[in-house]
Amino acid sequence: MADYPAQLAREHVLYDGTAVTLRPIRRGDDALEREFIEELSGESRYLRFQKWVNAPSEKLIHFLTDVDYDRHMALVCTLARPGGEQLLGEARYVAAADGRSCEFGIMIADDWHNSGIAGLLMEALMRIARERGIGLMEGQVLSSNRVMLRFARALGFRVESVPGDPGTRRIVKRL
Amino acid sequence: MDKIWLRSYPAGVPPEIDPRAHSSLVELLESSCERFRDRVAFSSMGARMSYGELDRLSRDFAAFLRHDASVARGERVAIMLPNLLQYPVALFGVLRAGAVAVNVNPLYTAAELEYQLADSGASVAVVLENFAATFERAQSAARVRCVVTTRAGDLLPPLRRTLVNFALRYLKRAVPRFSLPGSVGFRDALARGATRTLDAAAPSPYDTALLQYTGGTTGRARGAILTHGNMVANVEQTAAWIGIRLKPGEETVITALPLYHIFALTANLLVFLKLGGHNVLVADARDLPRLIALLGSTRFSAITGVNSLYNALLNARGFAAVRSANGGALKVAVAGGMALQRSVAERWQAAMGVTLIEGYGLTEAAPVVCANPIDLAAFNGSIGLPLPSTEVAILDEHGAELPPDEVGEICVRGPQVMRAYWNAPEETAEAFNAEGWLRTGDMGSMDARGFFRVVDRRKDVIVVSGFKAWPAEIEDVIMLHPGVRDVGVAGVPDEGSGEAVAAYIVRKDPNLTAAAVLEHCRQRLTGFKLPKRIEFRERLPKTPIGKVLRRRLRENEGPMHG
Repeated sequence: MADYPAQLAREHVLYDGTAVTLRPIRRGDDALEREFIEELSGESRYLRFQKWVNAPSEKLIHFLTDVDYDRHMALVCTLARPGGEQLLGEARYVAAADGRSCEFGIMIADDWHNSGIAGLLMEALMRIARERGIGLMEGQVLSSNRVMLRFARALGFRVESVPGDPGTRRIVKRL
Repeated sequence: MDKIWLRSYPAGVPPEIDPRAHSSLVELLESSCERFRDRVAFSSMGARMSYGELDRLSRDFAAFLRHDASVARGERVAIMLPNLLQYPVALFGVLRAGAVAVNVNPLYTAAELEYQLADSGASVAVVLENFAATFERAQSAARVRCVVTTRAGDLLPPLRRTLVNFALRYLKRAVPRFSLPGSVGFRDALARGATRTLDAAAPSPYDTALLQYTGGTTGRARGAILTHGNMVANVEQTAAWIGIRLKPGEETVITALPLYHIFALTANLLVFLKLGGHNVLVADARDLPRLIALLGSTRFSAITGVNSLYNALLNARGFAAVRSANGGALKVAVAGGMALQRSVAERWQAAMGVTLIEGYGLTEAAPVVCANPIDLAAFNGSIGLPLPSTEVAILDEHGAELPPDEVGEICVRGPQVMRAYWNAPEETAEAFNAEGWLRTGDMGSMDARGFFRVVDRRKDVIVVSGFKAWPAEIEDVIMLHPGVRDVGVAGVPDEGSGEAVAAYIVRKDPNLTAAAVLEHCRQRLTGFKLPKRIEFRERLPKTPIGKVLRRRLRENEGPMHG
């Protein structure tokens, strides 16, 4: 297990003046992550996992929070609150076995769409992946998820169809 | 835009229709009732209703709604009826009272019904008593203040009425016990309305006629707001298309698809109302022997259906006799709601001597958008040409129009296109692009003559005999079973229904059976959403980041459950 890469944390100010922190996720974030996912609308969870998810299982929370910062990197965007933090969004990648490409996923709290968080998380995630020598980032997006497809195109991803599965699109970007 | 398809129109079909030919469906009804007063408008279970009777009964029902049930203009009234004589009476009663009709699938389970009642805010409901027990369970969360219950035979002549009502209630036990305090019987409502003077509403083209529910990504159905103007436009468009073969006041159409679905509502009930035709109502199209007998004894000149229905008819015992009995009366046969298969189209043409015409539409467009020419020589695998006064374009991801033969999203503009979804501004914003095109979510192309083709769907929706099932809703239901750890749902090809629902389950309880899962689903989902295939897996195929791979779910199909 690698050490917590604290040097990757950054402070940002959103368009509306809100100060947020971007930092790698850590094992102690279980409760925050669970609360974050439970607060998401069913629609948002569906778009992320591409199947219906009611309450996140222990196994899922463990997978999401216990990352090795090498093959699996995850960044969270948090807001300081009296008594702790609130999670506003998270983005992560998992590298392929050969370490040359990775798949990413992103979730933003429903009330924080269009706040600029998604762009901050993705820019940071792509920068980290590039620094680690990963040449290609890709994702699987539901074809009906027009907001995500538009966002991905704005970030420079190419949208491809998936043979045999009109319900999803593959998005790809060279880093 | 250049409507290149106009050059492929059959002689007699106008390029444009008058979307304001009638100010509302109420005016359309009144004009047909005056013009065709003594003609048969509807028949069901051997009984007939003339246009004059439809006029009187729907007026009486409207008067009941306005004055006894205190229905205000724009209030929502749910209609939960199969194809019976009560359906047109209730529908036009609601519209003449200035209210909005909310069609409800009578086979809905309590949970599905509860959502639709609550979302639409229906304050009055008309329910067949066979479904009243379900209604009773669903009503808790909704604010329905007046329920009108009807028995199947309520509008039949006295002797038949008694027989049908008695048989359903006591012999077939088709009516589960229910208790709806304060509910009013349909006949009683009509009698009360008959004593009132109707303070008639004259809806404008901009007033809402229907809240027509259609599914959403996570299974939450959305109500498409269809105005009187939308509906009148689509009736004019569809009537202009098929009307070149038909004579006002002389046609008989088989209405086997449910009228709570927008396809039969527009193409059968409303279009043939305009033409002064006779709608032969089929309450249960799954009863094939009875349907075949009806087709054999009715000299029908038009019929609509979905691929599965035509397929079932062609395979049914006794269908061969239908052609000779029909004796060449048939002029128009239309297929919609789902893709028409070549084999079905060709067998129909060989059997009946009339080309099966495939059309295309969606609830959000009231519904008809495209149809093949009525004089089409043979099946061509396309969804046809855009109807008069309709623009259809193939747009790329950025909203730019693509040239012929290139695949993009099928987008629609026209007077039949809805204004918005009810209480769903985000879904509404996503449904239209900046230039006001309705995005259908279907991918397709147009050829050089203006014929459109559907290549695939962008939505992960499963189309079962023309009904849409969303994986998310079914997964949500199956996940509620305590013996289930994980589940993924996908559509699989099905010879009968085009597609069928398949559920791939990871068990928590190793003794969980497919039968138990199915029973669990039956309590909560309408028939067409039930998994036809249930398979147990060790794990679901997922991407490294944890997204389910739906296409991989379908691989390694095992045997179907009993």
